[in-house]
Amino acid sequence: MIPPSLSVSLRQHLSRDAGQWPAFIVMIGVLALFIIAGAATPSFLTFGNALVIVRAASMTGIVAVGMSVITLSGNLFALSAASLGAFLAVIFAIVTASLGLAAGVVAVIVVAIAAGGLQGVAVVITGNPIIATLAFGAAFRGLASILSSNGVLRINGAAAIWIGTGRPLGVPTQSWAFLILTVFAWFLIRRTSLGRRVILTGASRDAAHASGIGVDGVICTALVIMSLMVAVVALFTVCQFSEARANLFSGYDFDYIAAVLVGGIALRGGEGSPLQAALGAILISLLENLMLLNGFSAGLRIAIVGLVVVAATGTFHVLGRKHR
Amino acid sequence: MLRMQNIAKRYGATLALEHVDLEVAAGEVMALLGENGAGKSTLVKILSGLEHPDAGSIEVNGAVRAIASPGQAKAMGISYVAQELSVIGCLSVAENVLLGDTTIGVFRSQSRLARLARPYLERVGLGYIDALRPAESFSVAERQLIEIARLLSRKTRIAILDEPTATLSETEIDRVKAAVRALAAEGCAVVYVTHRLGEVFELAGRATIIRNGRSFPAVATSSVTVDQLIEMMLGRRLDQMFPERRGGGGDELLVIKDCLCPGLTAPISLTLRKGEMIGFAGQIGSGANAILKMMAGLLPIQQGSISLHGKPFTPSSAHASIAAQIAFCSDDRKRDGIFAARNLFENLTAPTIDGISRLGVIDRTREAVRARGIAQQFDIDVNKLGRLAGNLSGGNQQKVALGKWIGLDPSILMVEEPTRGVDVGARAEIYRHLRRQTDAGLSVLFSSSDTHEVHGLADRVGTFFRGRLIDLAPASTMTVESMTRAITHPDLAA
Repeated sequence: MIPPSLSVSLRQHLSRDAGQWPAFIVMIGVLALFIIAGAATPSFLTFGNALVIVRAASMTGIVAVGMSVITLSGNLFALSAASLGAFLAVIFAIVTASLGLAAGVVAVIVVAIAAGGLQGVAVVITGNPIIATLAFGAAFRGLASILSSNGVLRINGAAAIWIGTGRPLGVPTQSWAFLILTVFAWFLIRRTSLGRRVILTGASRDAAHASGIGVDGVICTALVIMSLMVAVVALFTVCQFSEARANLFSGYDFDYIAAVLVGGIALRGGEGSPLQAALGAILISLLENLMLLNGFSAGLRIAIVGLVVVAATGTFHVLGRKHR
Repeated sequence: MLRMQNIAKRYGATLALEHVDLEVAAGEVMALLGENGAGKSTLVKILSGLEHPDAGSIEVNGAVRAIASPGQAKAMGISYVAQELSVIGCLSVAENVLLGDTTIGVFRSQSRLARLARPYLERVGLGYIDALRPAESFSVAERQLIEIARLLSRKTRIAILDEPTATLSETEIDRVKAAVRALAAEGCAVVYVTHRLGEVFELAGRATIIRNGRSFPAVATSSVTVDQLIEMMLGRRLDQMFPERRGGGGDELLVIKDCLCPGLTAPISLTLRKGEMIGFAGQIGSGANAILKMMAGLLPIQQGSISLHGKPFTPSSAHASIAAQIAFCSDDRKRDGIFAARNLFENLTAPTIDGISRLGVIDRTREAVRARGIAQQFDIDVNKLGRLAGNLSGGNQQKVALGKWIGLDPSILMVEEPTRGVDVGARAEIYRHLRRQTDAGLSVLFSSSDTHEVHGLADRVGTFFRGRLIDLAPASTMTVESMTRAITHPDLAA
């Protein structure tokens, strides 16, 4: 089963990835920002600062990578990510405090899968991912509030503290998780049959259905993947601060979405890769870091990030149209 | 009325139009013909102000004009009716006819609009409809006529109609033709773009043919034959539209017994043999495609039984049918036939993702081998497999939409309107590919509103009228005329 002309097939293998141009644009943006910042800000171009940037990007980035799977499947965003994070954090803290760390991890994974599956069913039934996940978000936040009685839940234990603050090979655990999960999600989308189903469902739900792809199952799976990514972030956050509260991650949904948008993933679905969401998260983190080092006020920083998201979305939209 | 000379237009590296002349007189219907990609749509866009020519001149009514924008085109009396109709469904028919008319004034009671719209509606043969009802409650053909009524109300002097009959059935086409004649009778110059060559002779006095961005001098339709037109469009002789039949008919594969489903008014029984091709002819809404949709698991089976390979089979869902190796290619290619934003590797392997994967990981070599195999069978350029499906011509898209099913190794391939939106050259190719598949043992069921297509391609022909199977017989025992009678007035056929 060797193709008759290997050279042709090789060329096709290479050329078929040429559609990845938004990822390259983001990477160029990251590099350009690095160079400008490096020249203008003395303490910027250090290994320590690079770690700070990646670490800051990690927690947002992991969720954004999960979010990108939903976007790629043609379902825009899940607006429940931040609330689900708080809900899972509270569950993790409660179970860990009474039954130990391992039980806490298992509980979080089980609840995350259930929460993702339920949201997936709701998205399929309503056909509207925004409304369905927004409603679930409210429910998750409320449940987190009830379970925690609006108090602070504390956990202890050396293992939990290591997970939250350890630095294998000098790099924070969160950043390792970010790296590994990004590679995992990239592989999942680009190289597995499940990923192919996600992409084709996003490219055309009708055509995917007509081709025998179980689109409903694909959408549920996308929500489950995203919920598991949220679970990882909830786990790391509780371990890092040794506590959980119902108002964790409040207002973070925009950050997750911003990373996906700045990464240049097409909102109509079916085009792009989770790698772009990860790069988007790093780009935003880089920008934040740069503004912080230069003493910009909090309000100004938020406004600038907002404008960057608008500019990036607009640019990708115009470029995408030209590209066709 | 209209004279376009030496028009040229370049998009980046591609020369869309090299040298095109088009002249249309008032009251004349000029057919504009050419293969997909020949430059027809670019010319139409230039005329309607959506694109600007790089060279050449445009004279309207004897004066040289530049058409800078669609608004300016409208002011000059140029109207364009696209394939995707611009009738607004939620507005009343009257509002649609008078859409954008600023002379009526601010006070627009529905009854006054209906009164004003009435004469235009009558002239296109829609005098019987209630102009107060929303446009969406009418058929596609009627909406097409509403659009033409709008051209009349605007005192259009130059009308461009882009394949107005592409999705219509034969009787509906007659109504549109009558409306086009009415438009010309008002003194309007009509540019008529179509793939249906038959109607060129009935409707147009002359035809302008574009090939590879160059136009030929307009020919009078009375002095040419269909074959000559095709030869001018293709630049070569089309030896044979329909491939030879080899006399399909192996073992019985599919037996449908007294089956009823939505769209049918009488139960249907038929037997499909291995390697056989059955074509169903019927107007839109006649139920010709109902059995296909039922077998594809898209319509519920209400009565009767089906056996496949001698075993009972119930097409309960699209998934179940695909699992039973029954492939279905709908007539709406853009919606569910292709993945426009993905490359051909992914398009051609979409129904068989598991077949190109190992342990859930896609094997790229297997994927490439499979895609190349299908591409070779369907004459798709193997060096273009990295291209996005949406960037291909209609004919190549149809080959992708059909070809992707071959990977599934189906036992039955079902196709609705196998050549809709496909130009004449690619059409012959698709017929050849379908026939090659049945020669290799595949069974094909297809439905079409093009009687010639069904008669020329199928081994056995079924005719449908109002949800009933009128007749099912070998194509050799039928003529196009007898089939046309059966799908329009079966009672007179006997």
